[in-house]
Amino acid sequence: MMHTFRALAALALLMSTTAAAQTAEQLVPPAVPDAVTGPSAAAMRVVDWVAASGDNHALPYVIVDKTTASMQMFDAKGKALGTVPVLIGIAVGDDATPGVGSKNLAEIGPAEKTTPAGRFLAKFGRPIGKERILWVDYATSVAIHPIPPGASKKEQRRKRMLSPTFADNRITFGCINVPMASYGKVIRPMFGKKGGYVYILPDTKPLEIVFPRIRVQPYRPSAG
Amino acid sequence: MISFSSKLAPAAILLAGAIGLGGCATKSYVREQIAPVSQRVDTLETRLQETDGTAKSALAEAQAASGQLQNNGQRLDQLTGRVDGMDQRLQAQERKPAKRPRN
Repeated sequence: MMHTFRALAALALLMSTTAAAQTAEQLVPPAVPDAVTGPSAAAMRVVDWVAASGDNHALPYVIVDKTTASMQMFDAKGKALGTVPVLIGIAVGDDATPGVGSKNLAEIGPAEKTTPAGRFLAKFGRPIGKERILWVDYATSVAIHPIPPGASKKEQRRKRMLSPTFADNRITFGCINVPMASYGKVIRPMFGKKGGYVYILPDTKPLEIVFPRIRVQPYRPSAG
Repeated sequence: MISFSSKLAPAAILLAGAIGLGGCATKSYVREQIAPVSQRVDTLETRLQETDGTAKSALAEAQAASGQLQNNGQRLDQLTGRVDGMDQRLQAQERKPAKRPRN
């Protein structure tokens, strides 16, 4: 399943003319893909919880699973719209360093490049001199957007996103990079008006600490 | 006839005495046998009452914890709503371009 959506995302990426024109990286899939082939148990648990509790308050939502570098998308009624690979912060961690949101990219240290875990009400906004992006956490400058055109070619972000492995998807400064097609066709139309919720699963913290309300939800191991 | 009755009288007395004495012995024997069993039943009954009390106490605590959990959940929901509202207002103010994302 993971390979299927990665393949679809890869196709969508190839169809995005702007991104395709900006890079000439050779796309070489790695020989040994990672073992995980579907959503993690934690992701399934959050999916069940949000669906059962209506925690999204009739707004669209996405669930970002950092451990599998993937993002599940749902509309306002909770209908699954697919799963896509994402790029996340290069550093493992679930918190944002205080003040990191006001730093320039060059000032952010390696350990500060985390994608913070949690539940965020995301809204579209316009950063300095760029087109509108989906702010996940404005205070820490975390947003969802496609691979930025100005990203260093050394980082090989497109190649990392297209690869079937997810270990190499940790490369950003903390933002969540999504495939251009998913951003344009799903995220922007859905979140454009009233915004929506972004659930980012933790790397190391217990799920109940990041999403306290999940304690009330009966745990169903079979769901995983 | 009279001699026959006089011969039977002692026998009847002996028979009645044997039956009477035999009956007394049976009751005593039963009491002796029942005594330890009765003691064990009393002990078990006491322990059952203790267990029942413990179970009722545990049930009461579980119900109290469940009620507390529901209250906490409701408070959390209220707080979540407030945080969402604050977040929305904050982000509405921040619509103007002011900072860069962490790419």
